[in-house]
Amino acid sequence: MRLDGDLEIELCGERLVLLPERAAYRPADRSLLVADPHFGKAAAFRAHGFAVPGGTTGETLARLARATERTGAESIVFLGDFLHAKAGRAAKTLDALLAWRAAHPRLALTLVRGNHDAHAGDPPEELRIACVDGPLQAQPFAYAHHPQPAPACYVLAGHVHPSVTLRGAGRQRQRLPCFHLGPRVGILPAFGEFTGTADVPVAPGDRVYVVAGGQVVPAG
Amino acid sequence: MPRTAAPPAADPLAPAEAWFAARGWEPFAFQREVWRAYLAGESGLIHAATGTGKTYAAWLGPVLEWLAANPDASPTAKAPPLRVLWITPLRALAADTEEALRAPLVDLGLPWTLESRTGDTSAAVRSRQRTRLPTALVTTPESLALLLSRDDALQLFASLQAVVIDEWHELMGSKRGVMTELALARLRAWRPGLRSWGLSATIGNLADALDALLGTAPDRPPGRTIRGHVPKEVVVDALIPPTIQRFPWAGHLGTQMLPQVVEAVEEGETAIVFTNTRSQTEIWYQALLEARPDWAGQIALHHGSLDRARREWVEDGLRSGLLRCVVATSSLDLGVDFSPVDRVLQIGSPKGVARLLQRAGRSGHRPGAVSRVTCVPTNALELIEVAAARDGMRANAVESRLPVERPLDLLAQHVVTVALGGGFRPDALKAEVRTTRAYAGLLDDEWRWVLDFVTRGGDALSAYPEFQRVVISDDGTFHVADRQVARRHRMSIGTIVSDASVTVKYVGGGALGSVEESFIARLNPGDRFVFAGKPLEFVRVRDMVAWVRRAKNSKGAIPRWMGARMPLSTELAASLRGRLEEASRGVWRDVEMEAIRPILEIQARWSRIPAADELLIERVKTREGHHLFFFPFEGRLVHEGLAALFAYRISRLKPISFTFSMNDYGIELLSPDPAPLEDALDAGLLAPHNLLDDVPASLNATEMARRQFREIARVAGLVFQGYPYAGKSARQLQASSGLFFDVFTRYDPGNLLVTQAHREVLERQLESSRLGRTLERLSTGRVALTEPRRTPPLAFPLLVDRTREAVSSESMADRVRRMQVALEKAADTGR
Repeated sequence: MRLDGDLEIELCGERLVLLPERAAYRPADRSLLVADPHFGKAAAFRAHGFAVPGGTTGETLARLARATERTGAESIVFLGDFLHAKAGRAAKTLDALLAWRAAHPRLALTLVRGNHDAHAGDPPEELRIACVDGPLQAQPFAYAHHPQPAPACYVLAGHVHPSVTLRGAGRQRQRLPCFHLGPRVGILPAFGEFTGTADVPVAPGDRVYVVAGGQVVPAG
Repeated sequence: MPRTAAPPAADPLAPAEAWFAARGWEPFAFQREVWRAYLAGESGLIHAATGTGKTYAAWLGPVLEWLAANPDASPTAKAPPLRVLWITPLRALAADTEEALRAPLVDLGLPWTLESRTGDTSAAVRSRQRTRLPTALVTTPESLALLLSRDDALQLFASLQAVVIDEWHELMGSKRGVMTELALARLRAWRPGLRSWGLSATIGNLADALDALLGTAPDRPPGRTIRGHVPKEVVVDALIPPTIQRFPWAGHLGTQMLPQVVEAVEEGETAIVFTNTRSQTEIWYQALLEARPDWAGQIALHHGSLDRARREWVEDGLRSGLLRCVVATSSLDLGVDFSPVDRVLQIGSPKGVARLLQRAGRSGHRPGAVSRVTCVPTNALELIEVAAARDGMRANAVESRLPVERPLDLLAQHVVTVALGGGFRPDALKAEVRTTRAYAGLLDDEWRWVLDFVTRGGDALSAYPEFQRVVISDDGTFHVADRQVARRHRMSIGTIVSDASVTVKYVGGGALGSVEESFIARLNPGDRFVFAGKPLEFVRVRDMVAWVRRAKNSKGAIPRWMGARMPLSTELAASLRGRLEEASRGVWRDVEMEAIRPILEIQARWSRIPAADELLIERVKTREGHHLFFFPFEGRLVHEGLAALFAYRISRLKPISFTFSMNDYGIELLSPDPAPLEDALDAGLLAPHNLLDDVPASLNATEMARRQFREIARVAGLVFQGYPYAGKSARQLQASSGLFFDVFTRYDPGNLLVTQAHREVLERQLESSRLGRTLERLSTGRVALTEPRRTPPLAFPLLVDRTREAVSSESMADRVRRMQVALEKAADTGR
């Protein structure tokens, strides 16, 4: 099912659908690309005495399920930072992940490890996620966590939680999470509920798509 | 040695009288009154202008009492344990206070020890104070809270007799004042006979100040309010720009009046040039040096972000006469009676009557001399404020300090502090907390919520087994078990007032002071900036230190410190309306009004000078869009609420997006499309009803509560900024207060800290009760709508203000389609 909020673009001669769920769908191999979910971040904060309310994991997983079901994706590639921290491997969080996995048993899952995964450790085996170090070749793309250019391919990455600030007439301004596609590297917005954003510099020629109120909108 | 009874006729005040006489002084009647009251076991509040002897009024009571009980003690006897706590709001004042307090101890031969304990205290002194505190300790509210968090806190204060709180008017209107109230309640619970004395400038609500100081327990002694020495005559004048036509209409950083300021400084032997912000201090110091290079070494600057050694050098220089002029912020306008000067200048608007009186009090200490303060306008309209301030002073319209009502963020912090400081039982602590003025009205539900917040990480319904902060022992006491939690809490106790700051040091050694991390974050190695009056080149940041080296020329950015722009006080705003009313009738009273007359005549020609019963609205179209300017003249705080309300009410009539700005005079609403103003006026734009619905709704449409949450998140210990440049494991625990606000709003809407953010915006920031009164005034008056072709003088400062809020009734996607990304190379603002 396609939503009005989806935005189909062309990248390296391939179709790519940018989803307002803050993920990208690649019709060529029916895969969903998801960057920086940071599961267990709230739990990690709680373990250190910071009072973060519950519910963020559930919402992140619900959005993931929605994106998967809507697109009919058969696989998901996580572009790093699947788990936030060792202290975030709370029973409740892991249970929620397992329940989600049980509801989507046929999905092929891959994690391209990120800096947080190095500290937090790979996800539990029961989740059946293949874990690899990036970049992972998927011509014409390569999947990575860090947005560093690689030879002979276009890198799709995460890590920076990109946002941009838009300006308009009457001194309007609005800061929004975005997909930021540069000449050799494209960065996806952070998927996790309890994640912040960082404004990224936009150079002439870059393509930027913001997630605004349930829609993906090209930013001029 | 057997003690001989003192002769029955001995006057207990005799040592103090003798000490005063030896210095050629005679005690004021109020000082004797305070000494007697203290000796009789009473507590109270002493109010008077700075520099009139409040310090010794409060200090000699405890000294006299000890002398009476120990008539034969030798100066070399073993120092008694801690008896007196002296709390000062600014650590910059601690050294001066210590010096003033030491003089009678030495002269009267007391074996007391006297030390400071603030953020500036050296590690060696701290470690000595670990085992034993001095007889009298000068400290700040934060350092006192840290002492309360020690597990031996009860023993530390076992022989405490008195607490003196200096500059109480400065503290009481802030969360630091509430922190002090909580600490006092704790100390009183341990030491029931404890006497507390507050030193305050004269403010409009002294009864509140006394309640906050002594608490509101039913068995509380009434307490004394003692008026200090009546201040001498105060003169307020202004430097008048020679050609008002060429004088800027807006801004506060310009130095157009430099030649006149140089002249004024030359008139006296010594001068203080007060500014309203630390950035202004740096700018004026540079400007004075450029104008008079021969003054190098004779002028200096002083503000709260400078390194302590530098501040002390400046204070000494002013005292010894080495310095002819110091450019300073309020770091020099508080404090003990020191360094009177010949000339006091105030750069920019004084913003309030009390503040102007305080600053004026720095001059004219010679007997019979008048205190004089000369205001230096930085834009034309400030001339009206000077005239209005003089009116306010004549009418004795001294501002009140609004005390803070039960901030739960601070209560959460205090509960953890007490859990660290030996632990607590909930019912006892609740009762103790309720003896403070700030928490007298604390609800049971709120208390339970705070307890849940620190023990379970949220309300009782949700269980988070991983949460660790305050834990409950088998015997029912609450305490902190985790050492990391303890360490982090202690590090964040002092962070109420400022963002994370970075120390600035020379690569070759030597500290200059501290600037906000956000300023340093924008610098690249090699960038120039000016700080502590020195041109510097940024080298690198490591471990909370910005390393710099001396740069050759003085061109470079000047750090801006966060901190809200000070609003015009209600009292001054009312005086200002009076002055404009006169001008609208063609009455030009005083030189300031004569001077600004040409500008106000332009205002009258292009638009209108509003009469007292008129709301002036100006509609102007520029390349930026459609502007509506409203002029209620109620001060910035009320205007912020009115702006959000007006924007919200208009945006309900059609989909439209506004940005708005406000200042002490008025409001600007700016939209890409014309706003339906007439329809909105007909539909009750100015109506005082439905405020209970409209105000919170308009608030939700803006970022105000989200921004207010920054401080709350920090105080409640949600956001930890102890070591922003620390290692990776600490970074995993960093989230912005904005993210917390969003997550709470969505997943825990009943969170009382979020509620508090809304309440603080409504009550403190927008002063919602004043908002209603303002609307009543506006809705019964007339509306004067003009459509000037150019932006008139009153509107001009609003037009150029770049700090903006937004309210929109368009869909986000529609709005975004009309906006653009700022490209890397295209600078967004011309500088």
